[in-house]
Amino acid sequence: MDLRFTEQQEILKKSARDFLTKECPKAKVRELEHDAKGYDPDLWQKMADLGWLGFNIPEEYEGMGYSFEDLTVHMEEVGRNILPGPYMSTVVNTFAIVAAGADELKKDLLPKISYGKCILTLAWLEENGQFDASGITLKAAQKGSDFVLNGTKVFVDGAHIADNMIVVARTKESAKAEDGVTLFVVDAKAAGIKSTVIPTIAHDHLCEVVFKDVAVPAKNVLGKVDKGWEILQMIIRKGSILKSAESLGGLQSVVEMTVAYSKERVQYDRPIGAFQALQHKMSDMWIAMGTSKYLLYEAAWMESNGIPNAKEASMAKAYINEAYKLVGALGVKLHGGIGTSYDHDVPLFFRRAKAADTVYGSTDYHRELVAQFIGLK
Amino acid sequence: MDFNLTDAQKAHRDEVFKVCAELNKKKPKTWVGFESQFDDEVGWEFHKLCAKEFAKRGWLALGWPKEYGGKGDMMDKVLFQEGRGYYDLPGSDIFGVAMLAPTLLAAGSEELKKEFLPKIANAELMFCELWSEPNAGSDLAGLTATAIRKGDEFIVNGQKTWNTGAHFADWAFGVYKSDPNGKKHHNLTFLLCDMKSPGVTVKSIPYMSGTHVYNEVYLDDVKMSAKYIVGQENEGWAVVNVLAGFERSNLDMVYGLVRGIEELVEFCNETKKNGKPLSQDPIVRNRIADLSCSLEAVRCLAYRVADQQNRNEMGLMDAAAVKIFASELMEKYSHLASDILGPYGQVKNSPWAKMGGTVEYTYQGCFVPIVSMGTNEIQRNIIAWYGLGLPRMK
Repeated sequence: MDLRFTEQQEILKKSARDFLTKECPKAKVRELEHDAKGYDPDLWQKMADLGWLGFNIPEEYEGMGYSFEDLTVHMEEVGRNILPGPYMSTVVNTFAIVAAGADELKKDLLPKISYGKCILTLAWLEENGQFDASGITLKAAQKGSDFVLNGTKVFVDGAHIADNMIVVARTKESAKAEDGVTLFVVDAKAAGIKSTVIPTIAHDHLCEVVFKDVAVPAKNVLGKVDKGWEILQMIIRKGSILKSAESLGGLQSVVEMTVAYSKERVQYDRPIGAFQALQHKMSDMWIAMGTSKYLLYEAAWMESNGIPNAKEASMAKAYINEAYKLVGALGVKLHGGIGTSYDHDVPLFFRRAKAADTVYGSTDYHRELVAQFIGLK
Repeated sequence: MDFNLTDAQKAHRDEVFKVCAELNKKKPKTWVGFESQFDDEVGWEFHKLCAKEFAKRGWLALGWPKEYGGKGDMMDKVLFQEGRGYYDLPGSDIFGVAMLAPTLLAAGSEELKKEFLPKIANAELMFCELWSEPNAGSDLAGLTATAIRKGDEFIVNGQKTWNTGAHFADWAFGVYKSDPNGKKHHNLTFLLCDMKSPGVTVKSIPYMSGTHVYNEVYLDDVKMSAKYIVGQENEGWAVVNVLAGFERSNLDMVYGLVRGIEELVEFCNETKKNGKPLSQDPIVRNRIADLSCSLEAVRCLAYRVADQQNRNEMGLMDAAAVKIFASELMEKYSHLASDILGPYGQVKNSPWAKMGGTVEYTYQGCFVPIVSMGTNEIQRNIIAWYGLGLPRMK
């Protein structure tokens, strides 16, 4: 057992921190919240030049081929800073193409993603807001060698600027809802697709996407027709870990900012951090951080080493969802009035904690999975 | 990062679980939880039986230097805690094995190490702690019991309290004011004492559940030999800090909860309410799953503490976090289990009890780890002061 970061991981952390501190200050984060695109194309290109978009793409497809654990460590640093735009979506959904895409599709898309020329996202949730398979109703009907998609998806990250999206569609009605779900790689600019940005707490450009008679060639099916749910489970599992890493990074920023502020802010002739009422809350924030870390690293280490970890991934997502929200709220409260201001950084994280908790499954969704894993019949 | 155990560690862990599973079968019927070892003779005999079994295998000296009979490393010690914790077994003296032995190794004279370490490792001597006083709990500056030196002896007078297991212990370690005019932090002496010494009187303080855990200990002109000073005379404060630094990874507590949740899951699968198994109640599922996530989180952090200790890094903040989190998780567990049992949550170990009466026991017993070994409030101060660098209160 050795629960320390490797030397390479320390370097990855430092380079991500240095880069984002310089290239993505909080003023830019706030500016992009109200930008029509919601991301900075120049920054995206610089990230690609550093290899960030190809971390998890095998070298044969022009990627870096880093381990999942390394990627997790990197995402924690990204979360510490906040990086607007569909970076997480692109990276997480790339795994599905690597694992289940036809060779032609891989050769086409993976180098593009790696070079920063393709933004990828996931069209999964629908108006019913369900995370389980019975929530999938968007229809994909076979027509010759093509499929035709009709229906509406919601909360699709950056669909309005994406190049491709993985659409979770129903190809068969079945007694078992998981059977009959198919994943399609769809050109996000194809005829019949209309994306509209939904106003959300983090201004993070989640879209409603209406599909009207959208034709998709059969070669764009990921894996097998009707058998896409399993691939989605992989996306959810890996996404849960990486999203939790991002949340853990944000959570750490809030702890650090709050502790630093409490040492500077003077009331009653002393720094407010000298008051035990505040000290104990900050200790609780620190405990939430410590407990989140190793739960996450365990899940990431297992994923990296091919050890079955669906339980640990769900535990990490459920736990860190709540830890981030708790720490975010305490951060706001301990800052007092200034903590409630739009121009302050703490509420920036607080709002993102809420946004993060439903991505790749809410707390209650993952707790239900955990209930099954621990043997509740 | 690597969460794997080595093959040797896995083998040791398997052996620990095997031995503990066997001992578990010999548990007295009256056993409801860890403090049952102090409640009556039956519990204490079981404690000694387990201790002998562990001593035989060298498990009470895990992580000690070889020259004092040590075996294995800190990770082996942690794996031993897991098995013992999972089966809720006594047998590892919380004062002798967990606290005094590492303190002697760090701050004791060669004579004291040679005299006491083998007896602790062989489970020949059981210790208790003479620490708190009616007016000195977390803040030892308020100590009033005195140890006045006369030649090669100290004459000790005063009252100690919350002395867990003092009614069975053979020896005690304690701290006393040895220089009434000395400066703060330089006026205390850390002494070992035979509990059979004339002038030692032990009186029970019943725990809220009625069990006998704690005592008050009265010391009237008790003679303690100067050769039993740990550290230097009048420098007991430094020894206290050494001892307090031996934060455990608390994996025994964590693994006790692992077992508790397994038993709760089993109970919910087997028990029907309104014609349906309790396990199908979505609220029950959500709450147990929530607790399981927290448990896995603290289990992983406890490994982090163990990993640090194995490299001789202190990890004081993480250890404090584990102590706070695990003890409060035990409280949460007891409330959840008690809610699930409904009216049976209040029933003591008896023919009417569900889950062997352990829930009623834990509902009250959970305060022991919360308030002992430095209350959780003090632990939060430790994190704030030493971990976060916040100003100490004056």
